[in-house]
This record gives sequence, structure tokens and C-alpha cells, in this order.
Amino acid sequence: MTSAGQLRHATIVQGMNRMPGLLKLGSFLALLFLPALAMAAGGAEIQAMSVEYRDVPGIGSRNLVWVVAQQHLLLAGFVLGVPIFAWICELVGWKTKEQRYDKLAKEFTKLLTSAYATTALFGGILLFLLIGLYPKLMAYLTDMFFPSFLVYCLLFLLETATLYMYWYGWDYMQGNKKTFHLFLGFLLNLFALGIMIVPNSWATFQASPVVVGEGDAWARAWMAMKNPTWWPVNIHRLIANVVLGGFIVGAYAGVRYLLAVSREEREHYDWMGYVGNFIGVFGMLPLPFAGYWLMREVYQYNQQMGITLMGGFLAWLFILQAMLIGVLFLGANYYFWLGITHRIPGSEGQYKKPVMGMLIVLLLCLGVWMTPHSLVASLAEAQKMGGTHHPLLGVFGVMSAKMTVSNIMILVTFMSFIMYWRAGKQETAGWAKAAKAIMGALLVIAGIAVVVLGVWGYFVPAIIRINYFSVAQVLIVLFIMVTFTPLTALLMKSAKTTTEMVWGKMPIRAGYSLVLNAVMVILLMSLMGYARSSSRVHWHIYGVMRDTSEYAYSPALGYAAAFMSLNTFVFCLIVAFIFWVATLGDKAKAQPPKGSPVDIPSHTAPAMAGGAPSSGEKLE
Amino acid sequence: MKGPIISGAIILAGMFIFLKFLLPLVTAPLPASLIYLYLALVLSGILIYGTMSASSLEAMMGPVFRFLSGKGQTGASQMARLAVLVMFPLLVGWQTYSRLVPSDLPPAENRTIHPAPPGEFVGLANPYPKTPENIMMGKGLYAAYCSPCHGANYDGKGPAAPGFNPPPANFSDPGTIAQLQEAYLFWRIKKGGVGLPVEGMPWKSAMPRWEEELPEEFIWKIIMGEYDGAHQTPRTWEEEE
Amino acid sequence: MSEVALLQIIGMCVIGVGIIILLFIKGMFLRVLGFVAMVLGVFSLIALSVPQMASLPPAVETFDIASVKSPDDLASIGQKIFFSKGQCALCHSIGPSESARCPDLSGIGAKLSPEFIYESLTQPQAYIYLDFRHDGIPKEYPAQMPHIDQDPIGLSKQEIYSVIAFLQKMSGEPISIKVEDIMESVEEPDVSLKVASVTSPLNSQTPNMADR
Repeated sequence: MTSAGQLRHATIVQGMNRMPGLLKLGSFLALLFLPALAMAAGGAEIQAMSVEYRDVPGIGSRNLVWVVAQQHLLLAGFVLGVPIFAWICELVGWKTKEQRYDKLAKEFTKLLTSAYATTALFGGILLFLLIGLYPKLMAYLTDMFFPSFLVYCLLFLLETATLYMYWYGWDYMQGNKKTFHLFLGFLLNLFALGIMIVPNSWATFQASPVVVGEGDAWARAWMAMKNPTWWPVNIHRLIANVVLGGFIVGAYAGVRYLLAVSREEREHYDWMGYVGNFIGVFGMLPLPFAGYWLMREVYQYNQQMGITLMGGFLAWLFILQAMLIGVLFLGANYYFWLGITHRIPGSEGQYKKPVMGMLIVLLLCLGVWMTPHSLVASLAEAQKMGGTHHPLLGVFGVMSAKMTVSNIMILVTFMSFIMYWRAGKQETAGWAKAAKAIMGALLVIAGIAVVVLGVWGYFVPAIIRINYFSVAQVLIVLFIMVTFTPLTALLMKSAKTTTEMVWGKMPIRAGYSLVLNAVMVILLMSLMGYARSSSRVHWHIYGVMRDTSEYAYSPALGYAAAFMSLNTFVFCLIVAFIFWVATLGDKAKAQPPKGSPVDIPSHTAPAMAGGAPSSGEKLE
Repeated sequence: MKGPIISGAIILAGMFIFLKFLLPLVTAPLPASLIYLYLALVLSGILIYGTMSASSLEAMMGPVFRFLSGKGQTGASQMARLAVLVMFPLLVGWQTYSRLVPSDLPPAENRTIHPAPPGEFVGLANPYPKTPENIMMGKGLYAAYCSPCHGANYDGKGPAAPGFNPPPANFSDPGTIAQLQEAYLFWRIKKGGVGLPVEGMPWKSAMPRWEEELPEEFIWKIIMGEYDGAHQTPRTWEEEE
Repeated sequence: MSEVALLQIIGMCVIGVGIIILLFIKGMFLRVLGFVAMVLGVFSLIALSVPQMASLPPAVETFDIASVKSPDDLASIGQKIFFSKGQCALCHSIGPSESARCPDLSGIGAKLSPEFIYESLTQPQAYIYLDFRHDGIPKEYPAQMPHIDQDPIGLSKQEIYSVIAFLQKMSGEPISIKVEDIMESVEEPDVSLKVASVTSPLNSQTPNMADR
């Protein structure tokens, strides 16, 4: 045992020579714990010979790990997403000198401190469960990745320290010291990124292992980390965390808006909901591209896995994903449209037509996206269609169609946002007319180009479509976003406001749609996380270590969906609890004046339609 | 009740008629699951549009709630309300009953047509060069072994095809072999229907296990002949120079 | 009651509770929770409305010496090891392949002697085939041949023998590994394998030349 410990000491000291000074200090700290860790690893190896799995009676080991891991991952996504959100808000506040952004950032950093502890708690539970329930797998992974465990611990220490400084130093570091505080925020996000990408490599190694050759422990760990799906997952998760952060902030604001008693509160939370939704939507726009890259890498790594996911046993997960993303796109756009009609008085008639047009395009796209490749059909129906492929609608089932409609949905959502931005303002610049005409023409051309490429994609070899057509579609959409944003900003700079935005006038259903969006994002993360890990089917490490436990089978869709729903609900409760605890202090500080009536715009619609039952009318 | 409700109902009904009765005039009828999906989308669109602003919400939902709450109603409308309130649970009950009542129809199924192949078959390339002779030989073998079901025109309409459900694959459809690699076809021909994984429902496929009858060389050449005859190209992952 | 029916009933109950909350309870927070529960219930019901199918893993392969009666049995065990525990198929293909990262192994059992294959698996750097070169662009994730008999793959001697038997069978070569050899190696684990002197022109001896 001692010799093994010394060996590891030696390799670590070797590795330290390549590290910058700060890291060295951390490694030294980590080194102090090393003998204990090495001992634990040795113990696991010996255990693994006799016990490969342990079970939890009743719930089952896999289900327990499923729930705990999902909670840990969602919380982690939240803890990594919110600092990005807070830092952007702080940056905006610093640049525009608007105090409310700074306040918003601070409000969320406060939530971070309690969420951080909960995340770590679930991480700890997960680790103990994995060591206890899957000793064989954990011994293997420890053997492969041990040095990266140390890096992970070190990053955790740094992240914790930075978070404390960032949060407790908020008020102290105003004014001249603000730039340093912003730098701390940047560091916080940098460490958070590290904390995410290190464990990502363990999970992606399980899905796409590479053969690890000769070398010391550090070199071997690095070889294993550098697996084909590592960076695609990193990027995908990073963007998804921004989306999660944004929409959870939106949902928080939505709930607080619904609970608000005073006018100021309503205005504040209405605005906060707008900011959250905005950041969520903006994060969402590039997300499909990242997902596409990930799937491409999966296909290239192992086609069998790719087919299992996209066309085989797990294909229905992607239909559910299309459904959830569809609801999310509709929800986000709905919120924008509600914002236009409610925050800008008198604009309803003006925007009716474009909104209807956008809605129809979105629904058509969704119809295509949600049409499965293999349809659910009765025997008689299947016989008429000639199999479970429909001769006409079957063409919607393949990638070319899905890529096209998702690009168009992104375009529409972007235009929704541009419309919202320009609502209630009158351009004064002389070139405004020309600019608007050019933008309109560009938009039409882009839409047509995306569709033409999509249709053409059926008639060229798959590789041409994947390498050129799909990429071209993405570039067209990105081009529109990159050119329209500054152009509109320029237009708006000189525009005069005809109708001032009124905050705090949103109807109740806007609050619910913010909550719905957040639920959709959480559900999507649970769903696609399940897809990622079940694409390994009966392998712990794909093609290397088989799952020989009784839980090696892949459950049916409904069973998995029930678990995802449960996980989502539990996560919502945890987040609500964290928010509640974090705002206890505020309540004591600011007791709302008694007797101020809750003046939420209410309609005759009862709760089901998103209206409020006003005090006089009871629905019975 | 007028305005958005009526127009919404007309749109829904029109969509239903289009999907259920008009579309089958030009193509195969749609399965019920797909019709439900499209109608649900249309309904959500109507709801979103109707609830966009306070006035449109009132225009759409107001009459419904006034009707259902029964405030100040008399005579016919009161009777109609009572009738709706009585009919609705009955409707739900009927729906539940018709779902649960045993029938002689097999349940709807969800067969994956192109499931993932086993690892041994992933990434194999055709070892035989694409020469006219090889393609001709493949076509000859195809005519002898495959065309009775898959058809002499590669369209899945061979003389024996009407006897099978699911029907033999139509290779001229761009959704079949054009989406697959040669290695995939090699697996399906070699192992046949019984070689499918569970999601492919091996009990449904009548495809023979050709490894029992034909050497691998024949199978590879048949694949070549098949693509050539159906005017399709196999899917590849690397660009051909 | 089937599991699906049970889950469907739970889902409907959750939706029902959500509806009741939204109809009769005024507390905003509870209403939002009820709304979330309804959304999740609908999601589960949609997933449950699709025909349900679980995917069972294929039977676990075990290397049982007692079951080996003929060299063909050995080869079929070797095939399974090749595509799973041995991790060979992570890099190598049998036949030309578009996605393989390492040399194609088709016909390898006929080209090389079993002793040489054994050595290549256990001491990959001992002899490197001079004539080997990559055509075209370098592979994205090149891999170095690991020691198959050491961690993390750690195949036993019998397992390596059966893989060699598979490689020979696949190349159309008579299997030269005898069932008795396997039994023997169980009894005497450290039987030293004699590496045949290399005479084939394929096996030019160029030690320490990396393959890339």
C-alpha cells in the first residue's frame, strides 16, 4: 500500500512541474489528503473482486442513482448557469450605469450561495452511492481518472473561495473596485467551467471510450479525458446552463410576480422576468447547433450508438424532445407577444397580423419536427401505408427536414425578439426606411435559402448534406442574427419612443408561461441526459465494461418519462425551497403595507385559462 | 357564442377533414396518432392566438365561461348548459370504455424500421470493386433471390409481396437504402428478420437469413446491384475523392 | 394491473389534483405547483401513450473452459471477446472501414503466425511492421496499441488464445490453437511462449519505430 502511495506521490510531483504556481499550491494541499485517498482506492479494488454491485431493496440501485444524479446535475447546471447570468447582468449594469441590473445580479448571487451547498450535498450523496452500489465501475474509473479527481477537488476549492469573495465583497467592491469585482466574477465562471468539464470527461469516457496507452497516471488520465464527445458535451452543457439559468430566473420572477402585493414589486419582477426570458431565449438559439455537433461526433465515433439514438430504440426520446422544444419555442414567443400587447398600450391591432404569421410558421415547423420517422400505427393503418413509414409524410422523418425547420424556428423567434425591441418606437434616421427594406429582403432570402437547402438535401449524398448544406443553413441563420442585432441597435439609438413601455401590467398567464418555460428546460435536460446515458445501453463503459447487474436493461419510454417528471418536480421543489430560504431575510426587512389590495389584472377567465378568479366571482 | 370560438372550431374541423378525408385521396391514409398530433398543434395555435391580449381573451373565452357558469341564463341556454354538464362526464366515460373494451384488433405498434446493427457489422466496407461485371452479377443474383418479394423494379412490389405485412422494403424510395450504408444492408441480408433487435420486432419480418444460402461475396454483389438498379447511392461518412 | 396502466393512473391522478388545485385553491404558490404537476402529468401520459417496449441486454458471455469442445467453440468465444472485453473493435475493423482508427485486421490470421499475434498483443512495441502506413488524412483519434494482457483490458492467456483462434477462423485459416493448449495454460499459467523466428517478408524487424 505504501509503495503504491509513494508511486502516486512521485507521479504527482512530476506532474506538478508542468503546472503554474497557483495550481502547485492547490496540488500541495491535495497532496496532504493523498494517502487517505489512495487507501480508499486500494480498498475499492479489493472489494471489487468480491462485490461488483450492491442493490437497494425496494427502489433499486439504478433508480436511486438516477434520481440523485439527476438532482445533482440539474442543481449543478443551475449553480453554473446563474453565475453566468449574474455576471452578464453585473457587466451590463456597470456599462450602462443602471443600478437595477447590479441589484438583480446581486439578488441571484445570494441564491447561489445556498444552491451551491445543496449541489455539493447531492454530489456527495451521489459519490457515496456510486462507490457503494457500483464498486467495480468506480474502481475502474478511479484507476483511469484519479489525477483528474485531484484537479476537480482543487477547482472546487478555488470556486468556493472565489464565490465567497464575490458574494461577501459585493458591497465593499463598488465604485473603483468594481472592475476587480467583475474580474472575480469572471474567475468564478472560469473555475465553474473547469468544474463542469472535468467530470464531463468521466461521463463522456463512459459513452465514447478511447484506448489508453502507456504513460504515467497524469498522461493516462489526460488520454482518457480527450475522448471524441468530450468537447461537444462541454459546449452543449455550457450553453444549456445559460439557458437553464435564464429560464429559472424567469420562473422565479414569474412566481414572485404572481405573489406580488405592491406595485413596485410587480414592476420589478415583471422586468426581471423579461430579462430572464431574454437571456434564456438567446442562449437557446445556438443550442441546436451545439446539439447537432454532438450527434455528429457520436455518429462518427460509433454508428451503432448513433443509430440507437436517432433511429433505433431511443428515437422516441427525440420526438419527445421535439415536442418539449416546440412548447419552449411557443412559450418563449408567447411571452414576447404578450409583452408587446400588454407592456405597450394600444399596440394590439398593429401586431395582430405579424404575430399570426409567425405563429403559423412556428406551428408548421413544429408539425414537421414532431412527425416521427417510424409512426405509431395499428395493423390496418400500417398495411395501408405499406409499413410504419408514411409514403408522403415519411420525408418529414429524416434529418434534412428537421434541421430545416429548427433553423426556421430559430429565425422566427429571433424576429419575435426584434419586433419586441422595435415595438412602440419610431425610427427617425433618414436611412431607416432603406435599412428596414434591406432587412426584410434579407430575411425573406434567408428563409427561402434555408428551405431550398433543406429540400435539395434530399437529393444529394448524406455526407454532402451534413458537411455543406446543414452548415450553410446554420451560417445563414447566424448571419441574420449577427447583422440584424447591431443594425437594429443603430436604428433604435436614434429612434424616438412613441409609446413608453409599462411594466407590471402583464396578465397572470405571462407568469405561468415563464414557469412553463422553466419546467420545459428542466424536463428537456432530464430527457436528453437520459438519452445520453442510455445510449450506452447495457454497457457501463461502451464496448469495454458491461453492465452485468439486473438493471442492465433499458426501461420503456413511459417508465423513463415518469422518472424524468418526478425528477423535474423534485428539482422544482428544491429550487423553490432555496429561493424561499434565501428571501426570508428580505421579508423581515420589508413588511408589505397592510391593506394594499392585490391589483393583478384579472379577467373573467378562471384559473385554468390563466386568468385569476377575482374575489367577487367564484367558480363553482 | 360567436367570433373566435366559431372560427377556431371551423379551422379545427377543416383541418380534421383535410387530414382524414382529403389527404388520403392523394396518398396513403394517415395513422390516427399523427392526426391527433397535428390537431393538437392547431388547437394550441388557436389558444395562443386567442389569449394574446385581454380583449381577445375575453372574445374567445368569455362566452364559454358565461355559458358554463350559468349566470342569468334562462330557457334554452340553461337546458343546453345542463345538457353539456351531463354529457361531458358521459363522453369521458365512453372514451374510457372504448379504450378498455377488448377487441380483436392487435394493439397499435411502434416498430423501428432501421434499428442499430450489432457492433460486428458497423463500418464494414464493400470489399468488391464497383465494376460493371460485379454489378451485373449482383443484379442477376438479385433477380434470382430477391426480386420475388422486392420486385424486379426494386420497388417492393414483387409477385410474392402482397402476402406480407409489413410489406417488403421499397428500395426506390429515398427513405430506405439511400439512408443506409452498405454495411447495414449486409447485416440485414445476412441475418434476416430473426437477426433484428427487439425494437425492430424480429417476429414481424419475413426476411430470410441469407447467410444460410449465399456466400458473403454474393451478398456484397447483390448490394451493389440493388443500389445500381434502384438508382440510389449508399450513405457514406467520408467524401469520395 | 400492468405497470403502464399503473403509471397512467398515477399520471391522471396528478393531473386531476392539479386541476382541483387550480379550480379551488387561491394560494398562488400552490397554484403554480399544481400547474407544474399538470404539465408533468401530461408529459408522462404522452410518453405512456406510445407503445411501450423495454430493451433487454443480450445474454452475458462467460468464458467457460468446460464448454469448449472444439476449436470452433474457441473461435466463437474469441469473437465475443474481440467485440467486447478485449476492446479490439474500438479501433480495429475487420475488412475495410471508414471509421476505424487502426489497421484493418481482415486476413490477419492467415498472414501472421499465432505466436507473432500473441507477441503483438502482449508486447506491442517489440516488432513494428515496417510496411505499415496510413493512407490519406491522419485519423482524428489515433491510438497506440495497448498491452492486452495488462490493465485496463487485462485479458487472460486463454482469452488471448481464443481471440487468436477467432482471427484465424475469420481469415479462413485452419485454427492452430488446440483446446488442450488452453487447458494446459490453465494448469501452468507461466508457460513461456516461444516466439518463432520471423521469416516472413511481412515482418521486417525494426524495433522502436513508431507507427506514426
